[in-house]
Formats: sequence, structure tokens, C-alpha cells
Amino acid sequence: MKLAAALLAALAFAALPVLTSSNYVVGVGISALIFTAAAAALNLVYGFTGLLSFAQLGFWGIGGYTAALTVVSLGGSFWTGLLAAALLNAVIAVLVGYPMLRTNRHAFVISTLTFALLVTLIARDWVSLTRGPLGIPDLPAPQAFGLLFDTPRKFYWIAWIFSVAAIAFLFALCSSRIGRTLVAIKQNEPLVRAQGISPMPYKLTAFALSAAITGAAGGVYCFNLRIIDPSFLDFYYMQTFLIIVIIGGAGSFWGVIASGIALSALPEVLRFSDDFRMIIYGVILVIAMFVMPSGVAGLLRERRVARMREALR
Amino acid sequence: MSAILRVSDLRKSYSGIHALDGVSFDVEGGSITGLIGPNGSGKSTAIDCISGFQKLDGGTVTLGGTDITSRPAHLIARAGLMRTFQTVRVYDRLSLADNLAIAAQQFDPAGWIDEFLRTRRYRQAVESSEQRARQLVELIGLQRYYEAETGILSYGQKKLVALAAALMPHPKIVVLDEPVAGVNPSRIREIEVALQQLNRAGETFLIVEHNVEFITTLCHQVIVLEQGRKLTEGTAAEIHTDPRVLEAYLGITPEMAAAEVRGAA
Repeated sequence: MKLAAALLAALAFAALPVLTSSNYVVGVGISALIFTAAAAALNLVYGFTGLLSFAQLGFWGIGGYTAALTVVSLGGSFWTGLLAAALLNAVIAVLVGYPMLRTNRHAFVISTLTFALLVTLIARDWVSLTRGPLGIPDLPAPQAFGLLFDTPRKFYWIAWIFSVAAIAFLFALCSSRIGRTLVAIKQNEPLVRAQGISPMPYKLTAFALSAAITGAAGGVYCFNLRIIDPSFLDFYYMQTFLIIVIIGGAGSFWGVIASGIALSALPEVLRFSDDFRMIIYGVILVIAMFVMPSGVAGLLRERRVARMREALR
Repeated sequence: MSAILRVSDLRKSYSGIHALDGVSFDVEGGSITGLIGPNGSGKSTAIDCISGFQKLDGGTVTLGGTDITSRPAHLIARAGLMRTFQTVRVYDRLSLADNLAIAAQQFDPAGWIDEFLRTRRYRQAVESSEQRARQLVELIGLQRYYEAETGILSYGQKKLVALAAALMPHPKIVVLDEPVAGVNPSRIREIEVALQQLNRAGETFLIVEHNVEFITTLCHQVIVLEQGRKLTEGTAAEIHTDPRVLEAYLGITPEMAAAEVRGAA
């Protein structure tokens, strides 16, 4: 049922550039697709495994810079850039994740935040690598099968294919025994250990896969902007991913996908007041947390459980 | 019968206080063995150390002839020692079926590649796990909750789920940490019957419990701890009348103890 609905939604989204003549709407659609994929990756670590990772912002930035530099400095294609972004992030995630995941949950949150800040510093200050505050402008348009994806309308297909593939992969993962084990780890880690399962490899896998997808998403996004500079590591992106996950319902796969699509439109709607955007965002988040502490999906779930309780009485 | 679990000279201290001061005992295969003692006597520490949830300062633990001393908890579980917890632990947001499936998952040969390709090995593993799960759910009488999230169950029912989960992978021994503490008295009898039935089918249990009547009804052998040492060991009947046990455990005379047991029942 849900799968059929998701398939229909994906197809409907594919038709967006055909349905509208507005490049602005197509641009918002591109952001929605990429942000939703990145939010779904955050949902894997936070919603499913229970690890609140701010490192996503760092992976997003590393992914963007890796893809851009692979093309600009190493002369690779956009596609090699994406692959490099995903692989490099997975490797970094394993290296930094191992010590981070050995700490308790609070220390984990702080160390991921520190990691994100560190990446921001590198983007700004390691000028010989990242070209510093000026960034890397004029990123070339991606090419494939002799086609040049040089307009938003064409680039939309790349974003669509990337998002659908990333979401399908995450769905397969989350609905497998691995996904179920991640949920178990989040709920009761000592019990998982008492059942012969070592939590570390699972957490590390989730963290690394999430990093790879977030990095690739960052790669796609910077080629959409056609430029990357330190503002690519603005906390605004992390906030967006987190709000999507929290409002959709952490741990609910389709809840987060639906809220990703819906909320990606929001910053565009809020763009009328650039100065107050963050404040309005904050207010929306606080209200949502009050009204539905476990997101839209959590609200629906609570109702379902209440009905079940009633039925079994 | 031979010892399936052999514990010798367990030592553990917390900042100078000896929680375990050279405790040794055997659990015979196919038996129900009780571990009792007053609060702070080291029961919980002993099973936490045996199951790898706490590090031992000294001593050895062997399971079926294999030395499992100080292995990490998940490897001790894989070696065949499953445990439950004093404060009941289940996955509240997963169905009863999933709770049981996870408990067995590490013990079947199917890996993620098998699952992805839906190989025969994977299908067989899932099938046999489900068969076992249905059998155990019937035994604990929770059939109608099979697809329900365990969060909706009562405390006593969750204890039964934890018991069933521990039995899922056909372990060599199941260690139960206070299986009836906080459980409705009418349900205690159900747990008792279930354990006896399982034991007749060949399961071995080591039970830590406060409820004296529960222990004396069920256990073939009872070990009594006091202040980190083994006070005595014997059959339920022997323990029940041992004046040292009564004094240490209950702090009262045999006559008062008898009245206490009647009162608790």
C-alpha cells in the first residue's frame, strides 16, 4: 500500500518539469528532492538507530567539496565526483565514528557537532585546498549520454534519479533485518547485547551509509547551485534536515519522506523575510514539538496503538 | 547429569567492598537451579558477571566445557547463555513476533546477502524461527498478541515475552533475573507452570529470585549467597529448613518463616 503510494508519488514528482513552466518551481522541486534524501539519511542514524548526529552537516559539506574538487581540480566527471564524495564520506565516517560511537549518547551528539564545526573551519581556512571564502564558482554542468544538464529543468532529472535511488536503497535497508536490529538497538541496547548481537558494527554501518548518502546529496546540490563556498556549511542545512525528521516523525520511514517534500517548500515560502526566516523556523519547530512530540507519524502511531489496546481489551 | 555451567571463585569488588568474595557453584544440565540471598548478597552481581555485563576481578566461568570468563556479553550469549533482566527488557515498539525474531536472528546462518537475495538459507531460517516463536507464544499464552507491539502488554506479560525471547535460540542455559518480581500473584503460577513444562522439555534454568515459595516449588537445587559468599547449597527442602539460611535470608526463626511463606502466598 505505502509502497504503491510512494511509487505513484515518485512518478508524479518526475512529471513536475512537464507540468509547470516556472523555473522557480522546478528549482524548489530540486531542493525538495535533495533535502528529502539527506533527511532520510539522517533518519537512518537518528530515527532508526537513535544517534543524534550533527555530523551530517560536515558530511554534506565534505561531499559538496569533494564532488566539486574532483571535477575542477582533478578533471573528473560529475559522476566520479559523486562517487568520490560518497566513498570518502563513508571512510571518514568509519574513522571518526568508531571513537565517537564508543562514547555515551550525549558525548556522541557533542562530538558530531564538533566534527561539523571543524569541517566548516577547514572549508573557510584551508585556502590551498578549498579556495577559502571565495569558494569554487562556475562548476560545469553535468553530462551523460551526450546530454548536457545545463538548465534547472534538465538538472531536475539528476536530482530525481539520485533521490529516488537513495530513498529506495534506504527503504530496502530499513525494512530488512538490519533495519529492525537498528530499531532494537535504539530501544534497548543491553537486550540486544544479551541476544548475541554486537551493536557497534550496526551503528557504524548506519553512520557510514548515512554519511555516504548525505555526501552524495551535497555533491548533487552544489552542482545545482553551480558554486560551492563556506556558506554551503551553513547550519541552516542541518536545521532543515533535522526539522524534516522531527516533524515527519523520527523512525518513521515514509513520515520523513512526506515531511521532506512538504517542508522543503517552506523555506521558499518563508523567503519573503530573509532576516526572520530562522526565527520563524524555530517557532514552527517549537510548536510542532509541543503539539506532536514524536512527529506526524508518531501522532498517527499513537492513535493506532490506542485503537489496538482498545480492541484487545 | 553433568554441570553445564561451572562458576568458580568469582571475585568482584566495588571500591573496596567485596560484592563477590570467592563464589563457586555448578548448574547441572537439565536442572532448575535457584540463586537466593538477602539484598546486597551479590546475586545480581554474580549473574551480571557471568553473563558478561560486568567485568570480573577474578574467577572463571565455563559453559559446557568452554571458558567464557570475561568475554563480552554478546559473545557469551552466542556461546549459549541467554539471560533476562530484573527490570523487564523488551522492545516496546516492536511486535511480539519481531521481539522473538530478533532474539534468534544472530543464531541462524543467514547473513544480509542471504536476505537480500532471499536465498533458501534465509527462508529456512525465517521459517524455523517463526515456528519456534509460535510454539513459545502458545506456551506463554499470548497468541492473540502475536502481531501487537509489546508496549501494550502488562508488566507480567512482558516478563513472559522476555522469557520466550531468551528461549528462542535454543540456549544451553537460561538465566532469569527475578522472573516474578513485580508480577501479579495470579500470574506467578502461570510462569511456574511454563518453566516446569520447559524444564521437562530439557531446558536448563538458573533463577535469581526473592520469592521463596516460588524458588522452593521450582528448583531442584538452591544456592544461598550471603555477603558475597556462598552460605550453603542444597535441595529446596534442605534450604527451607536450614536455620542459617533462615537467619541470614529472613532474619527470623523457622516458625516465623513458615508464617511468612503462608502470608506471601
